[in-house]
Amino acid sequence: MDISARMEDSHYIGQAVPLWGAMTGLLIHDTHSMGGREVMKRSWRKRLTIGICLMMSIAALGGCSGDNGSSGEAGGDGPTPISIWMSMNTNASITLKSMNEITAIKEWEKKTNTKIEFQHPAVGAETEQFNVMINSNQLPDAMFVNGDYAKLFNDGIIIRLNELIDEYAPNLKKILEENPEVAKQLKADNGDIYAIPHLRLGEYKTFGGTFIRQDWLDELKLEKPETIEEWETVLKAFKEKKGVAAPLLFGAPPKMTTMGPAAPTYLEAYGITNNTFMKDGKVVYGPIEPEYKEFLTMFHRWYQEGLIDPDFATNDQKTYDAKILSSQAGAFFTFIGGGVGRYLPALQETDPNANLTATQYPVLNKGDEPMFTGRSWEWSSSGVVLTNSNKHPEETVKALDYFFSEEGHMLKNFGVEGLTYTMKDGYPTYTDEILKNPDGLSVAQAMAKHFIANYPFVGEDDDRYNEQYYQLQQQKDAAVLFSKYSENTLKVGLPPTSLTTEESTEDSKIMSDIGTYRDEMFVKFVIGVEPIENFDKFVDQINKFNVKRAIEIQQAALDRYNAR
Amino acid sequence: MKELSHKLSLLWLNYKKNKSIYWMALPVVLYFLVFKYLPMYGAIIAFKDYSVGKGIWGSDWVGLQHFRDFFQSYYFWRILKNTLLLSFYQLLFGFPAPILLALLLNELRHEIFKRTVQTISYIPHFISIVVICGMIVDFSSRDGLFNTIIGYFGGQSSALLSDPANFRTIYTASSIWQELGFSSIIYLAALSGINPELYDAANVDGASRLRQVWHITLPGIIPMIMILLILRIGGLMEIGFEKIILLYNPNVYDTADVISTFVYRKGISESAEFSYTTAVGLFQSVINFALLIGANRLSKVISNTKLF
Repeated sequence: MDISARMEDSHYIGQAVPLWGAMTGLLIHDTHSMGGREVMKRSWRKRLTIGICLMMSIAALGGCSGDNGSSGEAGGDGPTPISIWMSMNTNASITLKSMNEITAIKEWEKKTNTKIEFQHPAVGAETEQFNVMINSNQLPDAMFVNGDYAKLFNDGIIIRLNELIDEYAPNLKKILEENPEVAKQLKADNGDIYAIPHLRLGEYKTFGGTFIRQDWLDELKLEKPETIEEWETVLKAFKEKKGVAAPLLFGAPPKMTTMGPAAPTYLEAYGITNNTFMKDGKVVYGPIEPEYKEFLTMFHRWYQEGLIDPDFATNDQKTYDAKILSSQAGAFFTFIGGGVGRYLPALQETDPNANLTATQYPVLNKGDEPMFTGRSWEWSSSGVVLTNSNKHPEETVKALDYFFSEEGHMLKNFGVEGLTYTMKDGYPTYTDEILKNPDGLSVAQAMAKHFIANYPFVGEDDDRYNEQYYQLQQQKDAAVLFSKYSENTLKVGLPPTSLTTEESTEDSKIMSDIGTYRDEMFVKFVIGVEPIENFDKFVDQINKFNVKRAIEIQQAALDRYNAR
Repeated sequence: MKELSHKLSLLWLNYKKNKSIYWMALPVVLYFLVFKYLPMYGAIIAFKDYSVGKGIWGSDWVGLQHFRDFFQSYYFWRILKNTLLLSFYQLLFGFPAPILLALLLNELRHEIFKRTVQTISYIPHFISIVVICGMIVDFSSRDGLFNTIIGYFGGQSSALLSDPANFRTIYTASSIWQELGFSSIIYLAALSGINPELYDAANVDGASRLRQVWHITLPGIIPMIMILLILRIGGLMEIGFEKIILLYNPNVYDTADVISTFVYRKGISESAEFSYTTAVGLFQSVINFALLIGANRLSKVISNTKLF
């Protein structure tokens, strides 16, 4: 999976057991209506029923069959109620309690005659809540997911959308017909479509990379590093001449592998990834390749010489930010939009000379082209699925398809004309509400308040949004720089393949053991607890986990994908 | 049949006589039924290949496959060892600590001083585990309290919680610190039940304070100690799961990962291997059960005290 999807989509799941909501709602209602004895009696009975319901549902993970308020019958001609489960984007959660408050969502409801109810999981517990929700059968009408669609379908949780799209999603259908490459990505091996997708058809498909302190480079008269060797020189200079605690900062903001997002870019300079990828059309698992040993040797040296942040395995978002903002970090991985847009102004507040610049994905030899650039596919496996408990599939698909229409596309990417953008010579230009928000919100936050452009939902990203999203020159340069070699990634990155249920169970069992082992050993090798001479043992152990079988499974899926 | 109806009528009579007691017991019975016995139904999936769509009954039986997988798993010995070691340390250092404190408090004659010590020692018990763990994490960070102290004595500062060698110490020590005072209450209560005449008699015989503790105080609370010990052993493998989750990170899985955290990760937080993790959890319960029965037997033989 590409890095940007990993990070930006990392908050994609869950809502607190809907019953809690229903219960607190009812209890509050009860206290208001308490008056006569009769009411009181009834309210007690209600409480008791709900209480028992709640207990049973927790105890048996299921049970209570009461309507949880997600999908009532559409009464007459009123708007169709649709509940959507989706994790709240951090930029949105700064100003809003729920995505229902987003301006574009309100507009969307009006246009499509629906009543959307977003259900959000607690931040940090997305996966847990998703798994619990799936298994307790407390399903909303639709869910935004990024993942194993075939498994969800085979488990009977989500439904197949082909017929519905044919009939009720003319706009999406048109896009798929015009872009066979995209349709190929979206359709499972058997031609099934499970998600109303989030698509990126434009130029911009790489959203993050390593940024470095330009002002320090200037001060020390250094060139922007490209090769691993040059990186070492620069980091050493930062260490020795600037006395920086963490010349290269990488780490593990929530739910990421121990390697964090930055370390893989250095690994990828060696021509492999931290996971499976394509080498001459064949699936290969990176960590058991000889290049991984070279990388570990180099990284261990960097650790010993104090060139990388010693706390890399325990960093969280808070410490990560703190190190950047207090100028303790010389280079770090972040996103062009949300990251640089936040860090750079904050840095310049304390130090007007502070400057950041994007660096090309590192390579081994001068003049090499980077192969892995964190580029996403047109469809990066995220979108909205319909659950089997959806009582209004037609209306849901119709409503979601709205975002693929001309009107909906503008609403999603630019918001409401007059309020968040104006047309200037046919170019939708954001107003000051977005670019210079009167309440002091950053561009990312102002956008998230009014529409859904800077994180995945349903619909298609518009390049014109990215062009303006990146306000700072540093951001614009970064977008160009990162996109320069992004086509290369298509040759080495695995496309969105799909596995059968059996394959997926087997694969995830093998790979989850290997993943834990790999991450732990990575730390040990880098810190030096495990001498690099034991690399062969490490490879042996991964082979014992039966990595061969997992590669076989991936290869078979890739072959099927190519044959689509 | 006749016997049964006879028993039922006896029960009915008893109920009529002690109505209030029966009603008072109801919530407890309900609690166990709903939260302890009902969920056992779900344990079936340990022997099945559970799929959400097919439901618990509809899924296919796989016999002991998941148990076999677990026993052959690379992580089996590590999490078993960690679980047992952490529990063992808790038992070894954590169990005697409140007894010692109770004995010491019992020897104190200055009432106000005694009360103050007691109050201070049980305050930590009332702080939420989340807060406690937040404190521990902060204190042990690179620029935290512990490192400041270590630095004062000339040590090298490091992120304490990212070194596997430290985890068990931090875990056990903080647990003792948190529960020491509160656990000592029950022993103090037992101590107050000892007949003071025994001490008077010992005094007349010229026994020293230490002798008195050894021959009167300790024997006086031995039954209490034994019962609590049995209970502790029964929960030996049920190591404080929230606390580990809140404290650990992938760096220290080596010494920190225990059965319940493993189940949590594989079950709901990373992958969703429900059947497999249910099997693992069941394995833990079986061992607990065996330990409990064993400890009870042993205690009956040794000190003639038993729980059931």
